[in-house]
Amino acid sequence: MNGPSPAALPGRQHLDLVRSLVVTGFLLYLPANILPVMTITITGEVEPLTVLGGVNELWGSGLPLVALIVLLASFLVPLIKLVCLAWLLALDGTARCRDRRAATLKVLHQIGSWSMVDIFLLSVLAAVGQLGMMASVVPEPGVLFFAAMLLCTLFATDLYRSEWIWLDGQSAVS
Amino acid sequence: MDPVKRRERCHGCGGVYALRPLRRGESLRCGRCGTILASFRSPMGSQASCAVALTGLVLLGLANAQPIMRFSVAGNTQSNEIITGILVLFSQGYWPVAVLVLFCALIAPFLHFLSAAYASAACALPHPLPGGHLAARLASRSQPWSLLPVFALACIVSAVKLKMIGQVEWEAGIVYIGLLAVCSLVLSRLFSPREAVRKLSERRGAEGSAA
Repeated sequence: MNGPSPAALPGRQHLDLVRSLVVTGFLLYLPANILPVMTITITGEVEPLTVLGGVNELWGSGLPLVALIVLLASFLVPLIKLVCLAWLLALDGTARCRDRRAATLKVLHQIGSWSMVDIFLLSVLAAVGQLGMMASVVPEPGVLFFAAMLLCTLFATDLYRSEWIWLDGQSAVS
Repeated sequence: MDPVKRRERCHGCGGVYALRPLRRGESLRCGRCGTILASFRSPMGSQASCAVALTGLVLLGLANAQPIMRFSVAGNTQSNEIITGILVLFSQGYWPVAVLVLFCALIAPFLHFLSAAYASAACALPHPLPGGHLAARLASRSQPWSLLPVFALACIVSAVKLKMIGQVEWEAGIVYIGLLAVCSLVLSRLFSPREAVRKLSERRGAEGSAA
């Protein structure tokens, strides 16, 4: 069994791109969560909602399970992804915690796409929320930051190869 | 090509391993990173994955033709289909978000089901189909972006949210979206693009040696 040589690994030239995407993701995370992602109008009452505002509203309406799902998918998962990717990049090229890093990357691949739930939610709400002053849902600029941040995390996870964790020329154990 | 001498590069850590033919229930795991290198696939597996992928294509068509839900407030009613939200986002100037939804909820699932069906058929049929490798690679690339289970969850969350404002009635579209989410998850269990590429390469090698 032979270990990979750094030069032979495909996509290794994308490491700088992954770093840039993670830094951009962190920068976008703040406006994505501070700015409203949508404005809901109910019987003339206008209410701009941030991601956390939407969670708070669901919680306050006696729907803690749904609030928890949205909180996990839209707020915590992107943050966990960014922190984990930053950790993977910080340890890149070292032999530390390899098993944990490989397991972390697998988890990131599994959970990553669930953050898209808020974007789809907006799409469904905007579609049915076309009843003028009675009930309307309008997207706000925060959603652009949120979508860009999600894309950064999705592309960064997609580009980061698990082979890079095992780089150092050591042989694999049969 | 002698199957015993086949070698496989672990996509988890890059180690190279010699593969051997597997029996039912067996799988080979990388000794270093634990990634499954190969697992036994029933001869019927390709047919099953082709059937599931084709079912997904049909359901995708039906899900797009039927409304998902009907929302009513004080006598005003609005229903929606998958494309409605995308068009609304486009019309309100949020085209990057609309493109993202269009890609993840429609284009990527369509490409994934289509390419998985074709690659599975290429593996299952006794005669070679052109472009089987390309289809398997396309299935591999489109799989992470095909987010139908996430879309199904978003539909449920949005209905819960809308019930706080008015009345929500489910329409036939949600059934198809639910079935699509199940199809998508089943297909990810049954169909492995990596295995399909390997199978097609083996067949090509065998045909080359026979020639």
